[in-house]
Amino acid sequence: MASARKQVQQLARQLFRLSVIDGEVSAERVAGVLAYVEKNRPAHPVAVLRAYQRLISAEVARSRAVVDHAGPLAAGVLEAISAAMTRRYGRRITSSARRNDALIAGVRVRVGDDVYESSVAGQLEQLARAV
Amino acid sequence: MSSVLEQIEQQIAKLSSKAVKKNTGVIRTVADGVAKIEGLSEVMYNEMVQFPGGAIGIALNLEEDEVGCVVLGDISKLKEGDEVQTTGRLLSVPVGKALLGRTVDALGNAVDGKGPIAAKEFFPVEKIAPGIIVRKSVSQPLFTGIMAIDSMIPIGRGQRELIIGDRGTGKTTIAIDTIINQAKINKVGLASGDPKFRPVYSIYVAVGQKNSNIVRTIAALEAAGALEYTIIVAAPAADNPANQYLAPYSGAAMGEWFMENGMDALIVYDDLSKHAVAYRQISLILKRPSGREAYPGDVFYLHSRLLERSARLDGKGSLTALPIIETLAGDVSAYIPTNVISITDGQIFLETDLFNQGIRPAVSVGLSVSRVGSAAQIKATKQVGGKLKGELAQFRELAAFAQFGSDLDAKTKAQLDRGSRIVELFKQPAFNPLPIELQVAVLFAMQRGFFDPVDVKKVVAAATSMKQFFTTRKDALLTEIRTKAALDKDLEAKLQAACEEWKPTFSA
Repeated sequence: MASARKQVQQLARQLFRLSVIDGEVSAERVAGVLAYVEKNRPAHPVAVLRAYQRLISAEVARSRAVVDHAGPLAAGVLEAISAAMTRRYGRRITSSARRNDALIAGVRVRVGDDVYESSVAGQLEQLARAV
Repeated sequence: MSSVLEQIEQQIAKLSSKAVKKNTGVIRTVADGVAKIEGLSEVMYNEMVQFPGGAIGIALNLEEDEVGCVVLGDISKLKEGDEVQTTGRLLSVPVGKALLGRTVDALGNAVDGKGPIAAKEFFPVEKIAPGIIVRKSVSQPLFTGIMAIDSMIPIGRGQRELIIGDRGTGKTTIAIDTIINQAKINKVGLASGDPKFRPVYSIYVAVGQKNSNIVRTIAALEAAGALEYTIIVAAPAADNPANQYLAPYSGAAMGEWFMENGMDALIVYDDLSKHAVAYRQISLILKRPSGREAYPGDVFYLHSRLLERSARLDGKGSLTALPIIETLAGDVSAYIPTNVISITDGQIFLETDLFNQGIRPAVSVGLSVSRVGSAAQIKATKQVGGKLKGELAQFRELAAFAQFGSDLDAKTKAQLDRGSRIVELFKQPAFNPLPIELQVAVLFAMQRGFFDPVDVKKVVAAATSMKQFFTTRKDALLTEIRTKAALDKDLEAKLQAACEEWKPTFSA
């Protein structure tokens, strides 16, 4: 059981490495990998594809800044965030905006696992934890 | 003026709008107190992580695409998909004198219903043990109040002495006696106003014990007036294994505070067998490779890194450790007992047979040892009890042979008589530690043959009568022994005279 899971993880990682060019996920490579998996079905194909999907989505998230905002977002903010994040992480990062009224005010930027909190809701939460 | 205010306002605005960076992850599975988390790419080993709802966890397994965390607290509210974030901090517990007299859990939260603890300082639970340079040799005694131990297996401040034996042989009793004795010594020492007097504070860590046992221990300490010098860290059997795993380290952190601040402390780990079992449980849930008896490969490191934190520091204080190990059918060669024996500076081995024969404390003189030796004894004890261990060992050997033959020469018979009297003399009731000066007086009387005319069965009564005689009528002499800590000719003469005075008061 444990070794089967390990094999699934190993294969998923191999497929993932094949799908990345210069630190970015390539759509053509992903299509190629999927076609290969369909043709040469591995043991536990669903588990392999799920693990592969997780790795790809984590990698995609690393090069995408999701900007949650409560109020209106000023023009040029997304570009500025993209530029700042690209500088910080040393790889090309694109930004996309998402409205989230629960933040009350301010923004929250998520790049992969990292969250940059600059919202009122976040500050209130921090305050509540400190009290 | 208004421009200055504007400047300050701008500065505040800048600070308050500064983004806070968090590293996050998402719970993939939660089971048996362990959460597997996806993400947390920047988490460090042993780092505290924050779960939603206030629960915290410790990152113990850092794998390629997931992190294994033990959850400290209520896991029933956690679910798949919940966000977890790193804190950048190691787990810390409150430390200081505010904890004395309190019962806390593995995280340092009060569980005794006496209100919150007003601790000003926090120490990390995991800390690297002091190195060789900062340490000092163990040379100051730590009296347990148990005559068999103080005279034959002395313990020094900063030593690690293992208490090992089967269940129900009196391991915890020895530890509690030692804590009570420290409290008694502290009271006398602090009342004397001696500026050189160094009190010993105690920490009792209960791991995997029944709540009723912990309550009984607390009651015994309270009844003896020792609770005010003691911190109880409780991780009972009903607690989750993560808390049981952490409790000894939390206790060590509390003890380290005393040591770092130039004070002396004693810590009792009761017991490390259950601690190893809790760690095995966590490791198996984390799917770490298991080894002998299903323990993980780092179970030795689990205990060595804990016990190495006990030390005597140069220019500072000391932390003495009394770890307890429970054996099965007296097997000291099992995995965990041999590990801890090799880490500690000696062991007090308690035998079931001796216990059942009524010899309590059931210390096996042959298998018990203190590697610090007489360096941790006062001169007076060495003078009266230096040869005791050898005499008792000889007695055991002769007693074994005497079972086969009926004709014994006078010398052998005398040795046997003396040995059986020493055994009787070392019998001591629980929670009744003896001050060292009284031990010296009784051993002096034994060496000078004052118990020889007493029937073996009445030696315990004779010893009790002698202790009463000395405490009620020879208090000045006892104080002199305590302050001089060595027997000179004058003191020996006084002791001899006192024993002569006692002799007619006891009718054998």
